[in-house]
Amino acid sequence: MARVMQHEEEEKVIEDPGERVHVWPHLVSIELVGALIYLLALSLMSIFIRAPLVDLANPEVTPNPAKAPWYFLGLQELLLHMHPALAGVIVPGAVLILLAAIPYIDRTRAGTGIWFSTPKGLPITKFSAVYTAVWVVGLVLLDEYLPAGEGAHGISPLLELYGFPPAVGDIFVPLVFMTFIPWSLAVIVKRRWNANTREIIIALYTFFLASFVVLTIIGTAFRGHSMQLMWPWEIGAPEGLMER
Amino acid sequence: MGLREKLTNNRFFKSIYREGYPDTDRKRVLVIINSLALHLHPVRIPKKALKVSYTWGLGGLSIWMFVILTITGVFLMFYYIPSVKDAWWSIININTNVYFGAFMRNMHRWAAHAMVILVLLHMTRVFYTGSYKPPREFNWVLGVVLLTVTFLLSFTGYLLPWDQLAYWAITVGAEMGGSTPLIGKQINVALLGGYQIGQSTLIRWYTLHVIFLPLTLIVLVSMHFWRVRKDGNISTPVYPAPVEATAGSPADGDGAPEPSDEAAEEASGEAEEQAES
Repeated sequence: MARVMQHEEEEKVIEDPGERVHVWPHLVSIELVGALIYLLALSLMSIFIRAPLVDLANPEVTPNPAKAPWYFLGLQELLLHMHPALAGVIVPGAVLILLAAIPYIDRTRAGTGIWFSTPKGLPITKFSAVYTAVWVVGLVLLDEYLPAGEGAHGISPLLELYGFPPAVGDIFVPLVFMTFIPWSLAVIVKRRWNANTREIIIALYTFFLASFVVLTIIGTAFRGHSMQLMWPWEIGAPEGLMER
Repeated sequence: MGLREKLTNNRFFKSIYREGYPDTDRKRVLVIINSLALHLHPVRIPKKALKVSYTWGLGGLSIWMFVILTITGVFLMFYYIPSVKDAWWSIININTNVYFGAFMRNMHRWAAHAMVILVLLHMTRVFYTGSYKPPREFNWVLGVVLLTVTFLLSFTGYLLPWDQLAYWAITVGAEMGGSTPLIGKQINVALLGGYQIGQSTLIRWYTLHVIFLPLTLIVLVSMHFWRVRKDGNISTPVYPAPVEATAGSPADGDGAPEPSDEAAEEASGEAEEQAES
């Protein structure tokens, strides 16, 4: 059954779902099997792997490193590189608002219901992921190892050494990078692939996703004592956290 | 008489599912229409949507994690004591003295992590398949809010064992919230229920975790499911309309969805049923 829908901007499309089947039994059986597999996997995991519980809360003993749950370790990683208001409030707030705004920026219906929408979608996704990962890893390494005199390291300390106020290194420079990377990505994708709005949005979402994944991995597996960068096998048990 | 016949062809089963086992197309329509839970689904769906590699079932599995979390969570509430003095010891009690206590706590923790991952993956699937596009814009917005609620549920739960991990996670979290421009101090006090981490903090996060946030999630996810149906069910590819197809169509420029053929089908199914009785 095809039907014609007319939308703003005069975009005329046909929805053609093709052959249709009854939900009972075709879909409900798949759902049941999926639910049971997950229940079984979770049960096995719960039998063999214990949920962590460490010593009773103690305000006198600060664990080192003190890490948030894994899904906030990306933000905690940002916290090492910029002002806490930026890393803890403004960046996550802006990310949520921009995510919610996606369908009001990319308003066309073409490309619905197809993975990556167009033949260019997947190459753009791969390129954007690599582009973002290289930038993020490069900047993390730069901020960790850039010599800033007298044993200090990092972009912000170096700028302060040259007499800039702390706000330049903690707020201005991170804002410049966080705008420049997605902007440059959009420009490159537009020039190289002659990308339309949907394809540019794919590049930008991939920028968000790749940043989240890379920062989370760095924060989880590459930050040890005093939140210093190290290899995963060099990270020992944290101080002040006795597993029960 | 086969086993299925025995189970389904009796007064009790038929008092629930009036049509007996759905083995004809008509009964397959009616089983969906007549059941509250199954009515989340349309009667028929595109065959394409059955392909696991299209959706990976991520949305459904997210809500399945929520169901498991509710059941294990209620179990944990029987034994957990939300007081600074007793919270940690009640977890020790759950882990060592309570039948299935450690199992239920482990499952609550692993299902919580699974839910965060599944919700993130579900968002990513919806994004890359372009399923946020009109007319599904607002359901995407609801999804972003649900992602936030999921994070909050997980984080508030992380604090309840009142161990070192919990305590220092609150410390970091409250400091981050306290760095908000202009209203940082107020946010800090609101998060902690005072000026330092203590009993008022714990009871605040506990209440959010077991009542407010789950209720919020249930309301929002109901709207989310409702809109999946109202916005035309699962997304399927759209094609540019050929000129002759649009020429004959009436002016429906307001973009209001036409009544779908499922609705018509359901209406006819109900009419059929009424005619029968």
